[in-house]
Amino acid sequence: MAEFEPTVVAFVCNWCSYAAADKAGGQRLPYPSNVRLVRVMCSGRVDPQFVMDAFREGADGVMVLGCHPGDCHYRNGNMKALRRFRIFETLLAQLGIEPERFRLDWVGAGEAERLQAVTTSFTESVRAMGPLTLTGSVDREVA
Amino acid sequence: MSREAKKLGVFLCKCGTNIAGFVDLDSVQASLTKRPDVAFVSTHNLMCSPEGRKFVEETIAKHHPDQVLVAACSPKMHEQTFRDAAVRAGLNMGMVQIVNLREQCAWVTPDVKQATRKALTLISGAMARISHHQDLEARELECCSEIVIIGGGLAGIEAALMAANAGRKVVLIEKEVSLGGEVIKTEEVAPNMECAPCLLAPRLSAIRDHPNIQVVANAEVTDVLGFFGNFIVKVRAKARYVTKDCIGCEACFEACPTSVTSRFHLGLGTRKAIYTLFAGSVPAAAVIDREACRHFTHDSCKACAEACPFGAINFDDTDRDLEFQAGAVIVSTGHGTVDPSGIERLGYGKIDNVYTLAEFERLASSNGPCGGQILLKNGKQPTSLAVIQCVGSLSAEGVPYCSGTCCLWAGKIGHLARAKVPGMAVYNLHDRLVFEGPAGQAFYHHQIEGGTKYLHVKDLESIRLAQGPQGIHITATGMADLDVDMVVLVTGVTPPPGLDRLAEQLNIDRDAHGFLKPDHPVLHQAGTTLDGIYAVGGCVQPCDSGAAVTMAQAAVGDSLSKLVPGRKIQLEAMTSHIDKDVCAGCRMCVAVCPYKAISYDQQEHVCAVNEALCRGCGTCAATCPSGACTAKHFTDTQIYAEIGGVVHG
Amino acid sequence: MPAKKSSQAPGASHEPRQVAKAPQRTPVKPKIALYWCASCGGCEEAVVDLREKILDVVNQVDIVFWPCALDPKRADVEAMPDGSLAVALINGAIRSSEQEHMVRLLRQKAQLVVAFGACAWTGGIPALANLTSKTAIFKRSYLESPTVVNPQGVVPREEHVEDGHRLELPQLYETVYKLDDVIPVDYYLPGCPPTPELIATALGAIVSGQLPPRGSVLGPDKALCTDCPRNETKPDVFTIKDLKRIHEVQANPDECFLTQGILCMGPATRTGCGHQCINGNMPCTGCFGSVGDGDPAARMIAALGGVLEAEQEDDVRRMAGSLADPAGTFYRYSMSASLLGRQRDSKEVA
Repeated sequence: MAEFEPTVVAFVCNWCSYAAADKAGGQRLPYPSNVRLVRVMCSGRVDPQFVMDAFREGADGVMVLGCHPGDCHYRNGNMKALRRFRIFETLLAQLGIEPERFRLDWVGAGEAERLQAVTTSFTESVRAMGPLTLTGSVDREVA
Repeated sequence: MSREAKKLGVFLCKCGTNIAGFVDLDSVQASLTKRPDVAFVSTHNLMCSPEGRKFVEETIAKHHPDQVLVAACSPKMHEQTFRDAAVRAGLNMGMVQIVNLREQCAWVTPDVKQATRKALTLISGAMARISHHQDLEARELECCSEIVIIGGGLAGIEAALMAANAGRKVVLIEKEVSLGGEVIKTEEVAPNMECAPCLLAPRLSAIRDHPNIQVVANAEVTDVLGFFGNFIVKVRAKARYVTKDCIGCEACFEACPTSVTSRFHLGLGTRKAIYTLFAGSVPAAAVIDREACRHFTHDSCKACAEACPFGAINFDDTDRDLEFQAGAVIVSTGHGTVDPSGIERLGYGKIDNVYTLAEFERLASSNGPCGGQILLKNGKQPTSLAVIQCVGSLSAEGVPYCSGTCCLWAGKIGHLARAKVPGMAVYNLHDRLVFEGPAGQAFYHHQIEGGTKYLHVKDLESIRLAQGPQGIHITATGMADLDVDMVVLVTGVTPPPGLDRLAEQLNIDRDAHGFLKPDHPVLHQAGTTLDGIYAVGGCVQPCDSGAAVTMAQAAVGDSLSKLVPGRKIQLEAMTSHIDKDVCAGCRMCVAVCPYKAISYDQQEHVCAVNEALCRGCGTCAATCPSGACTAKHFTDTQIYAEIGGVVHG
Repeated sequence: MPAKKSSQAPGASHEPRQVAKAPQRTPVKPKIALYWCASCGGCEEAVVDLREKILDVVNQVDIVFWPCALDPKRADVEAMPDGSLAVALINGAIRSSEQEHMVRLLRQKAQLVVAFGACAWTGGIPALANLTSKTAIFKRSYLESPTVVNPQGVVPREEHVEDGHRLELPQLYETVYKLDDVIPVDYYLPGCPPTPELIATALGAIVSGQLPPRGSVLGPDKALCTDCPRNETKPDVFTIKDLKRIHEVQANPDECFLTQGILCMGPATRTGCGHQCINGNMPCTGCFGSVGDGDPAARMIAALGGVLEAEQEDDVRRMAGSLADPAGTFYRYSMSASLLGRQRDSKEVA
């Protein structure tokens, strides 16, 4: 039986977390190749539907990584992301999807080690949770 | 997924061994070539080199793809390079997508198989995304090259002169009745101890005589609209009741029957109801304090009008609302200081002859209430003086940070004191000392050589002042008791009062301590969170006069280089757009836009994005509950496609 | 009406739709059928609420099947030629084998199928059952409810033999589905229930053949705010300091609910209902469905996130936590359309 390799999608903002990922590359800090980065200009751009769609397409874990509060290149896009995703997390919990499969966190442009640590620890925790299977109309139980 | 017959070309850069050494590009190329939606796959060793860029151009010219993927290093390195190459070959810049195979794949995935698989996944995501790309248009706008400066202190004055000398029209707005800020209230400027009024006088004359500078004093900003290159600054200029015919001869001062406490003298002296701040002020014209003037409050006293040889008094003057167009706005409103009234142990406001530094400067200034004589309350000159440093700095009693420059100012006191009262004993009570660089050290030693005694007190908050029989009695842990005639408190630096209101009008951010936040701590200290609005000097961070002037010159330099008369400014291409047919006018987008770029049309009941103000963050697109708002080049469709691509590989 | 994409989730694959033909112009009145699946009967009421206008309706169409009001049976439908019905108006969600069977039958017999009302379009109130399990529902309904007297613990079964006779009951599904999960749907009529005006307009369009593209929603394509009388009271930039539930305050009848801190789904819900709830000083709960494509809850969550006033993590969590029932609030009528599917507590699901 092949060992489960989780699929992780991480939305990264151009000015902070994406830059941190570049810096991690520059410093040759490896992190699991399971993590697929999707670039947005600001974490405020990340619609909860993107996260839902990622899960629905087959991601086992999804991250949104933005600038630290107070550092957003666009003033406070990250705060809007924070507020909408904390509500989103309560919804996940109610739907019986482990809230730990979603993670909103902050990684500054210079924080290459943090980017490595956050992506690695998240991937491992998703691996421990196993694959996510959504049920209901998603899998068309009806013939 | 159907690519609707869009021809896609893929470029793979080996980047020497940087990518090729970690990703099996041959197998990537083989895999991609098999895909029916890929028209060609070309590899190059170093695509960013001049030869590489030519290769990209020629390959595009040869194959005529509609879109190209460039799998190479981070787009932050070379997105512009490859966009330019594609544009030269006839493609729109929106038809180029960079895949980050170096920083985010090759360099972080040690296992070649995993790296190769990840490379294909990232390329799949990009292919899915680019199939939904639209042309991107970089639009330009005419700009106004005039500059509005808010704050007529030293920094504002220098900025005005520099811009005006470069041929730009400048409007200098000042809250006080005339220019000069904090520096005009001092006697000497550290560290070279140059005479402050002498330093300023020629600058003030230059402003007065400069055809390009309009001074609007006794005025405050009421609103700021618009954007970089196209600001409208609304100002309320309060009535002076004295016309431009006034040359400041001061004949009316003697005639005026009313005296009030002087704000300029920080309450330490008086002035008449009709006054100037000092002889030689710019504007030269006097001002009538309406609340003090008997003409307005009681009878119709006309003493000043009768005394004036130029007929310059106009009791019918009114406040005026003015509007100025500007391409850039420079904020130079100076700084404030911690108020020591709340620090009981220091007895400020209770014990006689305890002054703040600013008050001491007034006492020592030739344009001050005592004509430069440092006098005690009883009219005598002091023979001893203690300076208490770091009052309300690094402390819960004031601000948690060190203000950096006040050591310089505190050192100045001994020099000033001994100049007026030779042999005065001066004690500087301190814990830390900050004197930067050789000039700073030289200044410090000079004060010690001059006679200032620096007394180290480990716990500054143990200092207590009390009224003693021989003046002021000072006690502190680890220090012998001290009796002096006068005490000067050097307090921490804060943002100036009213900065929060100004920041809101300008829609710029402040930091946790209330100072205006610079655009970038290294690359653009003089800028703010909004293009075209600059902030310099004390309103940004505690700094000395020299640093404030330098920042002001930097701000002017930046706006001179960006706002050239006749040149157009490039606008953000990846703006948001609201579909009028879907928009319900709920205005959630207006509430979230950090740049006030979205407005609600009262007639049509829909919202619209001002594409000149939009900075392309996309928050509005994520917020719109109807899906009416699209973020160009980061549309929902494009991102969904990318998600699908990276998940399924 | 302007074109509108279907409410299928992005990325989901579409079943091939049956080719639907426009109603034919014959001297015979077009035949229509109405059917109810998992529903409350409110959609039937809405048709009845056409009052005198129903006479215009029956002048133009022949209602040949309507279990609520008329006598024809399933066998009569089975006997009809395929495609002989101009339109089948199907309300209610799909949660039993009988409902699935009937809607498949009607799809076969009808040229057009309209998902009538919120339940058929996105699952409606019955779809809230997707937050629990069939086991839990049976336990509650047949065993543990305070008014139930069931000492032998009898629960429904699909099959029972009595006196040599085999009795069958439809299977109740674990999950409540929306209509287009089961059969291809041509049009969607929004509302819980759709208003009589919308129903009349839709029927008129069907009879005259003047229909928008397949997959459209037969109603206005803008959110409620567009004609809500309270929209103009909103300041351009507003924030919500505290989320209040409608029973916790005396709502000001002249001010936008959101500016009062009361959660109103209006910005994320289609208009067309005549804002009856708003007029009754109650906030919108979302029964007319969402405007854009995609997940019905996500848009309101994103919009709310934009206007909540909370800068510190603690405050944000407190405000998010103050929502008593997020799924019930944001997916009240649309659990079947959730991009994340149903609740997946594996302990409960049979």
